[in-house]
Amino acid sequence: MKPTGISPSRRAFLRTALATTPATLVLAQQFFHPSLGLAAAETAPKAYQPAYFTASEWALLMSLVDRLIPADEEGPGALEAGVPEFIDRQMGEPYGYGALWYMQGPFRDAPAELGYQLPFTPRTLYRAALPAFDKAVQARFGKGLVELDEPTRDDAISQLQHGTLTIGILPPLVFFDQLLQNTREGYFCDPVHGGNKDMAAWRMINFPGARADYIDWVEQYGREYPFRPVSVAVTGG
Amino acid sequence: MTVTRPWAALLLFLAIPATALADGDSDRALVAKGEYVARTGDCLTCHTAKDGKPYAGGLPMQTPIGIIYSKNITPDKETGIGDWTYDTFARLMRTGIDDEGHSSYPAMPYPSFSRIGDDDLAALYAYFQHGVDPVRQANRKSEIPWPLSVRWPLGVWRWAFAPAVQPFQPPPQADARIARGAYLVEGPGHCGACHTPRGLALQEEALSDAEGSDYLSGGSAIDGWVPVSLRDEYGGGLAGWSASDIVALLKTGRNTHGATLGGMNDVVVHSTQYFTDEDLVSVAAYLKSLAPNKDSPPFRYDDTAAKALFNGTPPTKGAQIYVDRCGGCHRTDGKGAGSVFPSLAGNPILQTADATSAINIVLAGGAVPATATSPSVFTMAPYADVLTDQEIADVVSFIQTSWGNTGTATTREKVTSLRNTKAR
Repeated sequence: MKPTGISPSRRAFLRTALATTPATLVLAQQFFHPSLGLAAAETAPKAYQPAYFTASEWALLMSLVDRLIPADEEGPGALEAGVPEFIDRQMGEPYGYGALWYMQGPFRDAPAELGYQLPFTPRTLYRAALPAFDKAVQARFGKGLVELDEPTRDDAISQLQHGTLTIGILPPLVFFDQLLQNTREGYFCDPVHGGNKDMAAWRMINFPGARADYIDWVEQYGREYPFRPVSVAVTGG
Repeated sequence: MTVTRPWAALLLFLAIPATALADGDSDRALVAKGEYVARTGDCLTCHTAKDGKPYAGGLPMQTPIGIIYSKNITPDKETGIGDWTYDTFARLMRTGIDDEGHSSYPAMPYPSFSRIGDDDLAALYAYFQHGVDPVRQANRKSEIPWPLSVRWPLGVWRWAFAPAVQPFQPPPQADARIARGAYLVEGPGHCGACHTPRGLALQEEALSDAEGSDYLSGGSAIDGWVPVSLRDEYGGGLAGWSASDIVALLKTGRNTHGATLGGMNDVVVHSTQYFTDEDLVSVAAYLKSLAPNKDSPPFRYDDTAAKALFNGTPPTKGAQIYVDRCGGCHRTDGKGAGSVFPSLAGNPILQTADATSAINIVLAGGAVPATATSPSVFTMAPYADVLTDQEIADVVSFIQTSWGNTGTATTREKVTSLRNTKAR
């Protein structure tokens, strides 16, 4: 049996993703396009130069997302999907600057259902959390995350998730949730945003992509939707 | 007492001599009539630069020999036509000879304007003298290299192709409505300037239906858009449209069969939407009276492609791209949706061997213009950055040849050349 590592949560978020996909498409999820899968494998990922993250932050980010969505027989991992590129590009968008959030004080503790309460924008959150996390990992495991083997990395990330690894003043779970959320987004986004390279994540779950409508298929009961995914704006998509 | 003030104003008004008032009214009526004539002639579109003052000229026009600029026709005395007499104005409008005795480039459609009646021309003169704000803006010299810049050949051109002023002649047996439509189309509307094929010397092959059935049978591409045939014929003409379809297109830029493209957007926005309904009906009646110039079979809808796409079995790569990128709006049956998403099945621009317009709208996108009676703008996105030249050739070929369309397939080379022209 394949070591499970962090894959229970991976399964959990795949379930979430599938739950948001139209039911008709879920019915069609066994349908694959071998020729397109081959084309994806032949395309070498281009080396992306991060615009926001420093070299050490970048290495750490890659090491983290690689364990949140590892590659396996079901589909590509977060690294192949371009998740770090997506997150780096997010940091340059209004989202990264917290421009989409209410960011005025007072900043106080509040029940979870009231949502995010910290003064950190995504940019400042990553900038503060990544070194703090690495320092905590150093202290507990004797090495930085990137140097640890996979089971130990999974252990470190699990401790972050369960709050047993403290990262300075930041609540560990807030950082973990932020990272997991952005990783999911980068994994399933339209490729135009840098993630979901070759639409491989969409193919894995048989999501047909940025299509305008399905009116022709509304009354064709029981039929599998036959078309491959399309990206909103990537040539040849 | 404040109540008396309006009465005082009324008394003052009544004190104005009756003759002066009547003259003022008739002048105003003449200027208003001239404004309408200017609308029917769409003077604004060519005589206004992008973001420029109305009628101050300066719009560049690419001709085969170089760039020329439209003239300032505001009543500014130094840079416009403020010191022109009516006779000078009428000579230019009817013979192309300007105030200095030079022949105009035939970008100014004076062979058509020579058909404008005396009453309309006098009103137009009154409008450009009294109804337009004067703008001081010197005319730009044309960018035509010597010896092509020499103007006397334009006189020869005029002698060869517009030798005499041609007053408007109504078509034989035309009723009053068709005659009015013919006047608007052949005269001020100068529709033939774009919609009639031009000969080797760029002269229009016919200036009226009486001169030949080449008249309005479709022009060659202007800025990447091919003017369609306006004759009552299939294979790219308006035979599939009723008179009220034509009226709707001219009034709103759209109808249930199609929408305007390229230069026609400006014509609808600045000119035809201002036509009276009666004039639009006349124009439509006249166009519907134009016998076919070519012998094309009627458009017949063919549901083969629609069935294949509905069934999820697109027959070609182009058909797959159509499903992925176009079908959401234009529908897999090619019939679009009302006057919102133009129908492609039977659309005049898709019935000929020249796919230029179809390629161009896929590359550059487009928008149905907002008009007073149809203010919503429906936009098609550009696909130049989304599809490769081969993909565009594939999808345009599919559109040109599906649902009964009689257009022909196109090539990657053609798309590449249009893309490069656009990029320049």
